[in-house]
Parts: sequence; C-alpha cells; structure tokens
Amino acid sequence: MTMDVRLLRIDSRLLHGQVTTNWAKAINVNRILVVSDRVANDQTRKTLIVQAAPPGIRANVITVEKMIRIYHDPRFDILKPMILVEDPVDARRIVEGGITIDSVNIGAISFDTTRVMVTDAIAVNVADVEAFKWFHDHGIKLDVRKVSSDSSKNLWKSLSEKGLV
Amino acid sequence: MTRREKVLTYLEKCALSMDQGITTSELSEAIGVLRPNVSNVLNQLVREGKVKKTNGRPVHYFMNSEEGERGFMLEQKPNIGFAGDARIRNQSIKMKSTAKKNKVDVFDNMIGSRDSLKNQVEQAKAALLYPPHGLNTLIIGPTGSGKTYFANKMYHFALDREIISKKGFTTFNCADYAHNPQLLMSHLFGYVKGAFTGANADKDGLIQEADGGMLFLDEVHRLPPEGQEMIFYFMDHGTYSRLGETAKVHHADVRLVYATTEDPKSSLLQTFVRRIPIIIQLTDFNQRSAREKLQLLEQLLTLEANRIHKNIRLSEDVVQALLGSVTYGNVGQLKSNIQLVCAQGFLNSMRNKNEITLIFSQLPPNIKDGLSNLANNRQELGNLSRLLEPTMVIKPDAERGLPDSDSYELPYNLYEIIGDKAALLKDEGLDQAAINNFIMTDINLHLKSFYRQGKLERNVSSLNEIVDQEIIDLTKRIQLLLQERESYPVRDNFIYAMSLHISSFIKRVQSGKPLRTIPADLISMVHDYPAELKIAEHVKDLIEDHYHFPIPESEVYYMAILFVSLKSEPKTGKVGIVVAAHGNSTASSMVHVVSQLLSVDNIAAYDMPLEMSPKVALDGIAEQVKKIDQGNGVLLLVDMGSLNTFSSKLTEKTNVHVKTIDMVTTAMVLEAARKTALIDSDLKTVYRELRQFDGYAQTIEKVHRKKNYVQTISNQREKAIIAICSTGEGTARRIKDLLDKILVDNLIDDIRVITVSVVTMNEQIAKIQQNYQIVATTGVVKPEVAAPFVSLENLLQGGGESFIGLVEKINNHTAHEAEDLEHSDLLTEEMSQNYLGQYFTFINPAKIVKVLWNYCDFIQHRSKSKMSNAFKISLIMHIAGAIERYLTRSEMSVDEQKRSNVRTEKLYPIVKQANEVLHETLNINLSDSEVYYIVALFKTEKEKNDTQNN
Repeated sequence: MTMDVRLLRIDSRLLHGQVTTNWAKAINVNRILVVSDRVANDQTRKTLIVQAAPPGIRANVITVEKMIRIYHDPRFDILKPMILVEDPVDARRIVEGGITIDSVNIGAISFDTTRVMVTDAIAVNVADVEAFKWFHDHGIKLDVRKVSSDSSKNLWKSLSEKGLV
Repeated sequence: MTRREKVLTYLEKCALSMDQGITTSELSEAIGVLRPNVSNVLNQLVREGKVKKTNGRPVHYFMNSEEGERGFMLEQKPNIGFAGDARIRNQSIKMKSTAKKNKVDVFDNMIGSRDSLKNQVEQAKAALLYPPHGLNTLIIGPTGSGKTYFANKMYHFALDREIISKKGFTTFNCADYAHNPQLLMSHLFGYVKGAFTGANADKDGLIQEADGGMLFLDEVHRLPPEGQEMIFYFMDHGTYSRLGETAKVHHADVRLVYATTEDPKSSLLQTFVRRIPIIIQLTDFNQRSAREKLQLLEQLLTLEANRIHKNIRLSEDVVQALLGSVTYGNVGQLKSNIQLVCAQGFLNSMRNKNEITLIFSQLPPNIKDGLSNLANNRQELGNLSRLLEPTMVIKPDAERGLPDSDSYELPYNLYEIIGDKAALLKDEGLDQAAINNFIMTDINLHLKSFYRQGKLERNVSSLNEIVDQEIIDLTKRIQLLLQERESYPVRDNFIYAMSLHISSFIKRVQSGKPLRTIPADLISMVHDYPAELKIAEHVKDLIEDHYHFPIPESEVYYMAILFVSLKSEPKTGKVGIVVAAHGNSTASSMVHVVSQLLSVDNIAAYDMPLEMSPKVALDGIAEQVKKIDQGNGVLLLVDMGSLNTFSSKLTEKTNVHVKTIDMVTTAMVLEAARKTALIDSDLKTVYRELRQFDGYAQTIEKVHRKKNYVQTISNQREKAIIAICSTGEGTARRIKDLLDKILVDNLIDDIRVITVSVVTMNEQIAKIQQNYQIVATTGVVKPEVAAPFVSLENLLQGGGESFIGLVEKINNHTAHEAEDLEHSDLLTEEMSQNYLGQYFTFINPAKIVKVLWNYCDFIQHRSKSKMSNAFKISLIMHIAGAIERYLTRSEMSVDEQKRSNVRTEKLYPIVKQANEVLHETLNINLSDSEVYYIVALFKTEKEKNDTQNN
C-alpha cells in the first residue's frame, strides 16, 4: 500500500478559500499538502495558507523533495492527501519523483509577462507547455476545472487550438 | 536673594506688564519657590502694606503702587487720581472682567499644564474646540496617572467655553460589567421593553443621559468588540439603537472621551481606534520633574488639610519618603499613601487643635521604603533637595478646591470616623497608647479594603495564571506571619517574588531534579544575616507543614538570601536584562508583564519590526544595554538565532559584559528578573542558571556550536529523540508510539524516537550519538545530554503537541511574522495588494485594494463579528477573483437549489448590501452564484472558528 493521492492540482494561489474547501469535501481527503519550495521558506505565506485550511482538515506546506520523500515512506501511508502546486513544472517534478496519478487538475495559473492566456484563468509560458507535453506523453489527463462540480475540459485541446503544442 | 526679595522683584517686574497681578501659583512657578512658602511671604507683605490683593478668587497679588488707580477691584476704596487716566483703566478692567468668564482656563491650575503636560493640554483643547462638534479623544495612561482627572478638566473647559450645552459629566467604567456584555451595552445604549428577561419598561442609556454633555468611558478596552462597533457607528452617525431595536433611530449629541491603561493597538478594534483622531498619552509619575512631583504632593496634602481643618507639618524626609513610595500607581498611589499617613498623623496629633505633624519614624514600613527608593536615584534626589525646606507646612486653602470624586477617594470621611472613635474609647477610660493602637488597626483595615479594589488585586489575579493559587495562598500566610511575628517589613512585591520562588523550588523537588548544593560563599554571606536565617527556618517549617515533604537545607539558605534581598533591594550592582524580539510589541509586552509583576527596574525591552535592519537593531540594543547596565553586566534575551552574533559586538560597542540567551518566553523573562533581583547574583551565575531553566532554553552558543559540529562532522546525521524508562521497554515504548504518531501527523520524517533503559543509559546514549543528533530527551530521568529535557507529566499533559512544537522551535521555525500580521492592518493591506498583483491579470491592485478593504470593513461592521487579518486577505482575494471573473464573463455557476438555500442565510442580506456598495463604486454586479460562494466562505470560516473554540 502506498499513499493514496486523491488529487494533484495546479493553482497559482495554492490553498485558497472556497475552492479548496469545495474540492476537499468532494473528493474525501484527510490532508492538504501544499508543495512549493518557495512557500515552504516564506513564513508569512506559509502561516496564511495553513490558517486558510478548511475545518477539520490539516494543511502542511512542504518542499518538493520532502513530498517525494514522505510518499515513499510507509509511515505516511495513512495520508489521503490532495496535493496543491503552483505550476506545471512542480507538478511534473512530483510525478517524476514517483507519485502515481492518472490526471492532473488545473485550476488557475496567473498571468505574468512570460505567459500567454490560454483560457480565462490559465496562462502558460514555455516551461509550462514543456511540462504539459510531458504529462500528455505519459498518458496523464489534463483536467481543467475550477471546482469539482464544473464540467471537465481538456487543456490539451485548448493548447492545440492556440497552436502552442 | 531671599524668598522675600525674589517675590518682590518679580512683582515689580509684573507691575510693568500685567494689569491684573499674579496668583500665588503663577508666582510660585515663575520664581521656583514652593507655593506655601510664596503664600507665607505674600501674606506677610500684604500685612506690611507692600503688596495688595484682589477680592475675587483666585486671588491676584501686585505691588502697592503710589497711584492706586487700580483700586477698582481692591479691598480699599480707590484713591482719586488723574480722572482721565482712571477712566481708561477702569474701562479696560471692565472689559477684562466681562471677558473673564471665557478667559479663565481650568487647565491652568492643573499641575504640569505648562510643563510635562503641555502638549497633552494643547491636544485636549484642540480636540474640544475643533469645529463643529470637536474630535473624539482617547486618553492613555498607566494606573493612577490621572485619566479621570484629566477628562474632568476637559469637561470643565468645555463647559466654560460653552462648547457643550448641558451640565453633566457622565462617567462609565467599562470594566464594571465586563463579565456581562449584554448588561454593559444596555447601560450604555438603553433598552426597549421585552429586549431581555427583566426589561419591563423602556429605558434610556447613558448615551441619551449624556446628550448635550460629555460621556467619559473609562477602561474602554473592556468594551466588547460589538460594543466598540456600536460606539463607532454612533461616532460616525450620531445615531444608535437601544437593545432590542433594529433601526438606529435615536439621536444624541455627546462629546465622547475614552480612557485606557492598555496599548490601544492591541486591546481595541482597529476600526475603532481609526475613528479616534486625538490620542492623549499621560505621563508616568516617575517621569515628571521633581518640581511637579512636589507640587502634586503639596496639592494632595492641601486636600487633606481642607478636610481636617488643620495645618499639616511634615519634615523633609517624610516628603521624600512619600514621593519615593510611588512605585507603580502614579498620582493615585501617592494620594492613597498621603491619605494613610495623614490619617495616622491625625490620630497621633489629636490633641493639637491647629496642626498635625507627620514624623518619619512613625510612617508605615512600605512608605519608609520610599526614602531608600529615592536615595537610589541620586540625580532625582538632588533635584528634589534643592527645592525642599527642612520642614513644610500645608495650610487648609479653600481656593485650591475640594477633591473631585475619583476612585482614589474614600467614600466616607475617615477623619470623622477616627475622631468619633477616639472620643468613644476615651470615654470608656482607655489610655492613649491603647486608643492609638486600636484605631491604627482600624485605619489599616479601611485603607487596605480600599487598596484592594485597585490595581493590586488585578496583579495578583494575573499572578495566578503563572503560579498555583495554592502557593499564592501559602505565600499570603507566610506574609502574615512575617508581618505579625517577625516584624519583617513586607513590601509590594513580596507576594510575587516569594510565591515564584516557592513555586520553582517545589517544582524542583517534585520533579526530582538534583538538589542545589550550597556554595561556601553563600553560607558565609547568610551568616551575616542571622535574623533572616531565622525567619527562613520558620518559613521552611511552614512550607513543610503544608506540603508534608522535607525541604532541603539548601533552600533555607536560598530563602534567607531572598529575604535579605527583598528587604534591602540595593539599586547598584544588579545584573541588567534587555529583551529583544522581532515584532512591533513582542519584547515590550513581555517586559511590561514582568516589570508589573515584580516591580523591577533593571529590565528594558527592544522591539524589532520585521523591516528593521540588523545594523539599526544592534545600535538600538546597544543603547538599551548601556541604559540598563548597573556595572554588573547585562543579560540579553532574544527570540531567535539571527541575533546570535550580537553578544561580542555589543560588548565591543558598549564595554558592558553581555551574555545572550535565545528563545525568550515571558516565563523566562520572569525567571531572569527574579534571579537578578537577588543580591548575590552575578551575570555568570544568572546566565548559567537560566540556561537550565525548565530545560527548554538553549544557549545561542550551544546551538551555534551544535550547528557547526553538525555541519563539519556529520551533516547527514539523522535527528533523534531519546525516551527513557527503567527497562526501555515499558513506558519508553509507549512514549515512542505516542511521539511517532505526532511526528507523522506533523509530517516530520527526519526524527527517530529511540527507547533507552535507565540501567545502560549512558552507554546507549553514547552509541546513539555516533549516528544521531539528539534533539530532545524525555522520560523518567534526565540524562546528561546537551538537549532539552521534557518531563513525562509535561509530555503527557500537553498531548505531545507542545513537545513537537519545541522540537520545531529548535529547528528555528517561528511564527512571529504572522502574529505581526494580526496586529498590523497596514501590513495586511500591503500584502493583499502584493498578492492581488501577483495572481490577477486584469484588475489594478493599487486601486482595487482600498475598495475591497472597505468591503471587508463593511461586512465586519454589519455582521458585528471581527475578522482576522488572515481571513481578510482570503476574502479580498476571493472578491478580486469574483470581479475578474465578472470582467472576463466567466462567473462561477451553482445549481438553483443551492442558490435558493443561500437566501435564507443570516449573512446573505449583508453580503448583498456589500455587493450593492461594490456596484455603486465599480458598476459591477456579482451574480447570485458568486454570492453563494462568498457566503460559503464565511460559513466555512465560522465553522472553523467554532471547532477551534471547542
């Protein structure tokens, strides 16, 4: 038995308000793991995120390296986590580290000057596209949903339409 | 120049510039001679005919000039002078006298109004005169600094200037009903019939009562948040609702003045403080000038003289003792102490019809102490001596008024009671000594019962958060014993110092820590104080009786030293303490607590806001170190590792020996203050003892060494916690299971728990140390390892969580920044704006953040529930998201069922109203689905808070 990862979600804002609460309830998780090297070293943001966890579910902020470590450590098998990452690159590092999933959920990726908007909430840059290609090549579905009750859209289609892949 | 010459010279000078002459107080201030002395000289000069005085109050004095055309207002008939001249003069005087009503400034006769309280008085006047309705004012000051008195002056000023229409100074102490917010609010706002059980008829509140006048809310920090919100709504709109009403239909025009002893930043809602533009900070008694202190003393004595209709004669040393007896309670404490000594003096001088005399040798011990307190401050003593005469006589002086009612005033006339009782006892044939003895007990009783209502009581209650009530009670018994049988002078801080001492050694005995050995120099020192040693023996018996276990002999010595220390409390040579911590008030609040509890003076705080550079911090700390050093070195207590290089730099910079201990807690500051208060303490000893304190302190040096060691020798070593029991298999195993679970729960994967048996403990630990870095130990005994030890009780009581908290602290995880966030709205707003820029594409962070901030405030205000700043950031981000979704036409959708359900939520109408405001500002209409999510966000937060509170 290994750790049962219920969801791997990409969201620039990581754990935030109602969106996370909605997911946590819908897919029955007992832990929220926010995985980001940057946030793990940012005390204020870390505290804010931990405080924003939905009632009854604990959230931890850890580095990518630690995520991979505890995934393979049988002591932590009792966790049924939802994993939140900031961008596709971190998501890929996690899956490359051996974490088994069949789809990755994409909520929102914030626009910045390196990125272009693909959907109303998702912006990508070269590195992101590279990571999404990798997922696609490994048969991992790119599921675009804000909340669990939305109908799922395939990001690959949007990327193709934009001529990015 | 003699006093007489000084007075005459000044009056001559005045004659040229002033028409109206000068009052005794003004003269006293101008020439630096005490008021009673000036008064003496003036009366003499009037009798001699050299000086004249006016009829009205306050009396004005001026030189008796030859012309005498000023006689218009004089006792004597005016001489006939040059007619034209006289007319002009008369007119001008007439004009002055009509203008006089507006001219007299009630603040003028407040002591310090031209000096230490000058700014405060200007602020108060500005607040009152500001058109059209004045500004709301908050008075901050420590206990007894005269907040009520100051507010009273403000009221009289407003009345004189006809700023307020109605006579009436309504005061309300918010602490009176703090335990019952509903009752408190009903007092303030009134209620309608049926608002709650027992509300049989409509009733107006104090706000209505104060309509047209002034309302003074004391201890406003005890007002619950919903009360603060109702008040600030009233400040904004002038309307309010009574309890049980929904609409705010009542209107009142009230000048509001608030007062608090607390830091408003941490004790009041920010939204509330923002609405108070004028904050007046009153000065500590001990920061006032020697002159002002004397003036205050003199004024307070005059009040007593007025009450007993006799002169009060006191010598220089009594004045010094009285001034020095003010330790924590400011003018209020001085007033109480003066009442006490006057009552005593009254009794002792009963036979003298004209005068009571206060004699130093007859003062109670806690007042006598004042003299040595004062003697320790050379400079202050010097300043004072220059102003003092060998004896001072205070005469009854109706001009100086009767006391305003305040909480330091006794509710009855103590002197009448004393007089009546003495007469009664005399009739019964008792001799004077017996009568005095009898009545003195009585006076002490009166004044004690009165003291008890004051600050002292509250201090003791905060003490019992740290020390068991049982120990406090025991200490009180010891105090009684010392007072009654040993004639040991018991001071203010006895209860605190003694109960902390008992508590720490009882814990030591109970937790089986090794007994302290008795150093030879301690023994020789104690033998110089045989009386204290004897007392310590008695106290030891008492404690043994109480706890039924033997107290080690070494404790008798330590207690004897404590008694010696508490008695003499020398000022020089104490080890200084500087607390430095990150955060706007972390350090100062710790120091505040400790110095209030122990009334120590060898401790200073240095707050380091997060943005402060290390260079600035170093300079700031150096300054504190210099300030607090008494020649015996300074102990620096810091909150985390980043300050670890400071010790040597500070020593270099200040030439003061500095030792640093990190991970400071309030408990540790207390312990440090307590230890440094002992006379035999030196920096090295205190430092060594503190490092062992409760086992959770780690010295910077040690951590540093350990870090280096770890880095150089075995960077890869895994961390370990050692659990010890007699076999290594029983209790230790259970501890391991417990800790393993907690470690997993905290996602800590790099710490192993290893069980060890007592029998082979040392060898096993040595072996473990080759492969592991031991971060903590727990179990039945404390091993010889340089790591914190947590006793089994602590481990099991705290559920282990706090133990892991400790482990995380060692790894330097602290949450100060987030704590700071909760205290700083500015920081929150900045951070929100920052995140908005980071996560959103289309909205303009700088412009939108204000709108969203107001959105939060609006809901907070309407829903009457306080949001944490962390939640505010959440909400701001969410609403920004909703706005951006609106702009990109990608709003969230929710099924009809949920949308209709949400309409029944209590918050729904409030969120709708808030959205309406958003609509007005930005012309954006959020859909009902978005409203659903906003309401849901609040519900989740509330649910979370509820589960946390249970």
